[in-house]
Amino acid sequence: MQSGSTLEKLPTGKDSDRVELDRARKALGTIILGKDSQIALALSCLLARGHLLIEDLPGLGKTMLAQSLSRVLGLSFRRIQFTSDLLPADIVGVSVFRQGKGEFEFQPGPIFAQLILADEVNRATPKAQSALLESMEEYQVSVDGCTRALPNPFFVVATQNPADQIGTFPLPESQLDRFLMRLELGYPNEDNERELITGEDRRSMLEDIEAASSPETMIRLQQAAAAMHMSDPLVDYIQALVRQTRESPDIDIGLSPRGALALAAAAKAHAFVEHHPGVFPDDIQAVFTAVAGHRLKPAGNTTYRSAAELCKHVLDTVAIP
Amino acid sequence: MARARGTDGSLLDSLPWTLFALAFSLAPHVLFLPWWITVAFFACGLWRFVIERRRRPIPSTWFRALLAMLCFLGVLATYSTISGVGPGSALLAIMAALKLLETRKRRDQFVLLFISIFLVMSSLLREQYLWSLPYLVVAVFLIMTAWLRISSPTGEKARRSFSTGGRLVMYAAPLAVAMWIFFPRIATPFWSVPMDTGTAKSGISDTMSPGDISSLSMSDAVAFRVTFKGDIPEPRNRYWRGIVLTNFNGRTWTSTDPYATRAHEQVVYEANPVEYSITLEPTRQIWVFALDMPASWTLQRTFMGPQQQLARSVPIDQRTKYDAVSYIDFRTEVDLPRQARNFYTSVPESSNRRTQELARSMRAEARSDVAFIDAALKMFNEEEFYYTLEPPALGSNPVDRFLFDSRQGFCEHYASAFAVLMRAAGIPARIVLGYQGGEVNPMGGHMIVRQSDAHAWTEVWLEGIGWRRVDPTAAVAPERIEVGRSGSMFDGVAADWGFSAPSLWVYQLQMYWDAMNAKWNEWILGYGPENQDKFMEWLGMDNPDWRKMMLTMIGIVIGIVLLISLALSLRYRPPKRDRAAMLYGKFVKKAGIVPATGETATVYASRVGDESAISPANVAEITNSYLEARYGLPNQASLERLEAAVSRL
Repeated sequence: MQSGSTLEKLPTGKDSDRVELDRARKALGTIILGKDSQIALALSCLLARGHLLIEDLPGLGKTMLAQSLSRVLGLSFRRIQFTSDLLPADIVGVSVFRQGKGEFEFQPGPIFAQLILADEVNRATPKAQSALLESMEEYQVSVDGCTRALPNPFFVVATQNPADQIGTFPLPESQLDRFLMRLELGYPNEDNERELITGEDRRSMLEDIEAASSPETMIRLQQAAAAMHMSDPLVDYIQALVRQTRESPDIDIGLSPRGALALAAAAKAHAFVEHHPGVFPDDIQAVFTAVAGHRLKPAGNTTYRSAAELCKHVLDTVAIP
Repeated sequence: MARARGTDGSLLDSLPWTLFALAFSLAPHVLFLPWWITVAFFACGLWRFVIERRRRPIPSTWFRALLAMLCFLGVLATYSTISGVGPGSALLAIMAALKLLETRKRRDQFVLLFISIFLVMSSLLREQYLWSLPYLVVAVFLIMTAWLRISSPTGEKARRSFSTGGRLVMYAAPLAVAMWIFFPRIATPFWSVPMDTGTAKSGISDTMSPGDISSLSMSDAVAFRVTFKGDIPEPRNRYWRGIVLTNFNGRTWTSTDPYATRAHEQVVYEANPVEYSITLEPTRQIWVFALDMPASWTLQRTFMGPQQQLARSVPIDQRTKYDAVSYIDFRTEVDLPRQARNFYTSVPESSNRRTQELARSMRAEARSDVAFIDAALKMFNEEEFYYTLEPPALGSNPVDRFLFDSRQGFCEHYASAFAVLMRAAGIPARIVLGYQGGEVNPMGGHMIVRQSDAHAWTEVWLEGIGWRRVDPTAAVAPERIEVGRSGSMFDGVAADWGFSAPSLWVYQLQMYWDAMNAKWNEWILGYGPENQDKFMEWLGMDNPDWRKMMLTMIGIVIGIVLLISLALSLRYRPPKRDRAAMLYGKFVKKAGIVPATGETATVYASRVGDESAISPANVAEITNSYLEARYGLPNQASLERLEAAVSRL
């Protein structure tokens, strides 16, 4: 953390903050190749003060994305590997009796960091999952009846493997709702994969990369993103999209008002990342699948095979005002 | 406890607004609160601001609890009670300041703004001055603006918040006026504000010890205002009777009277009736002032005492208005019983002996009582007596000291000495405390009587004539009695008297202010049950009672709300069909490609660029300026760019 006095000297205008954000985005692009739209989405998610769920097969760079995010944004980073024997105390910390002092001392758990990577979150028992999810919602943890605030900013990047079904506890809808976005990274294209194979080792690149931003900048960026202008036609557009998810015969459970709020917040942050003068329809469409995909429950008889297809269908049926 | 974290500086932009609103709402209290509360208040404000600026942590719970306890004890120690307006507002102010120290979020500041409103309201419990109304309006406006600032998204201009705050206050104004007019006033209020027990009585005290106090306070505060129905009496007849002092113990005159139960002396009212009404400022005493000699008055529970003094059975705690008729020319009962005669001539044998000897020798020389009185007045007039507001202290036997040594004093000294002379010579005498004079306000046409007009004079009883007023001060300083105070004589007489001499326009300003205050008292503060009933009848409501008024009020309030809503909804113009959308429609028509449902302008542009004849540069220009004009902040430049690009097609 920087001291207060150096903070005062920084120019307070948005421009310097923006420059840092652009630099961070560029740095991320050099490590995660060919995934610019996902990087923009991940940054938007953090700017909208949201938590991120990355769902993909192993080896596609989930962990790398989380680590490089913390690195370039200058956030403190902790990784929690979720296993079936993980206990809540392993996440939030425990009070330990100190013989010398004769009193209990709190040993903060890995949750006390600005960016948490919750790896394979669906492997842990619901009890351990809920310890994480509670802290995501409340920005604080309660241990031994004492409430402790988490650092600010505080982000959780959770990963889960959709293919692996044995011995997992899939997150229920209500808890998926805590994540602002769900991303899928997917395979890299031929050229990028070639560069991965022949190029420098990504892990050592990560070691060398410098922080492009700071937590204080992040807080200011979050405020600026929330203040993005959204014109009336686009509020109508969001409402129309939400209505469509509720009325479509292909969807059992549509977006909740919280989902609509999440959509608006994510779109604003995306517009901010993309340097748009206001939220564009493109911003809403860009974040729609990531924000809505995990919140929708497809109907049993639907012909759409994935949430992404379903979302695409919704976008294709609602006119842009 | 976890290590206390510093504040994140997120309140830095909203905190000054809250602090300013709080400070503004404290302003009317500052004069009445102990100094340490004001100091603590501003210290807390500054402290909180520094905490936010330096990102320091907020003080711990224990520390805050300790501070709150100390402040509570401090208020208790200062006032030795916590009930009443003074301690109540002191507690409110100091707790608001402490609340600042546990303000962490934007939301917490709303609580502080609520407290501000409460502070503003509580200042009305003390006194409702003329400036209270403008102050109230400005305070509410500022608090509303602060509220809007705190709840507005970042980036809204301060000017916008101010104008919205102003509009809100404007919408509320007719509601406030309607409620003020129609809310039923009830003669006996359901609740009352406990008066501060520490508040000193103001105005004239009901004992008099010349020589104890060595200077008279020259307070410019208004004692009462008078409106005359007819001509204003001449300055020398402006004696406002108050308290009558009858007992003298050699040093102090008091009003205790063994004849209190005796029937009133009969007063014969002869000529020159004067009709007037008085608005008396609260004195917290029972005495009621009236022009010498009152014949009838409209104040309830007020009786005329044995020495023709008016008194009310309950102290005057509020500004009180009453009408009265007085007669300049009157006579009192000629007959004075022996017992009363003895009482009005008693002087302690052992004190002021030289005065008593002087009185006896002077009486022996004079042919009659009247001649003796003239001789005494002549003595005051011709020998070296001085009128001064800062006489020396006199010690025991004050009358002897005054008559033979110091010879300097003001009305109390002369009245006291004169009454002792009279009594020693066997003439019944008593002292009247009240006001003499009064200043006519040319702006309002009314007369102002100030505390500095307080006066003491004597009344003597003469065989065959009855009680007669004799003012020995007039013999020493006739200008004190003969000339009223007015602007034209400020430079001369006033300067001699030890007033500072303000210039004429300051005087006129003061008169304007006073006239406005008089009207304010009469029309706004005086709008009580009687005036309200009268006003309701004038409006055409027969037998107004509180139910009818309440219903009328509710009806009017609903009406006003509907009217305002109607006006607002009529003024609201839905935006015309977006010009940017129309221009873009032209472009789509020209391109000849139908956009798919849910296809964004960006995607459509790439399709048009590939498939139509329109130049890709123009397509990009149109798309970009369209997106900016339609979805960005309202902005004329991009609309013009779009217009230009579409016309190039």
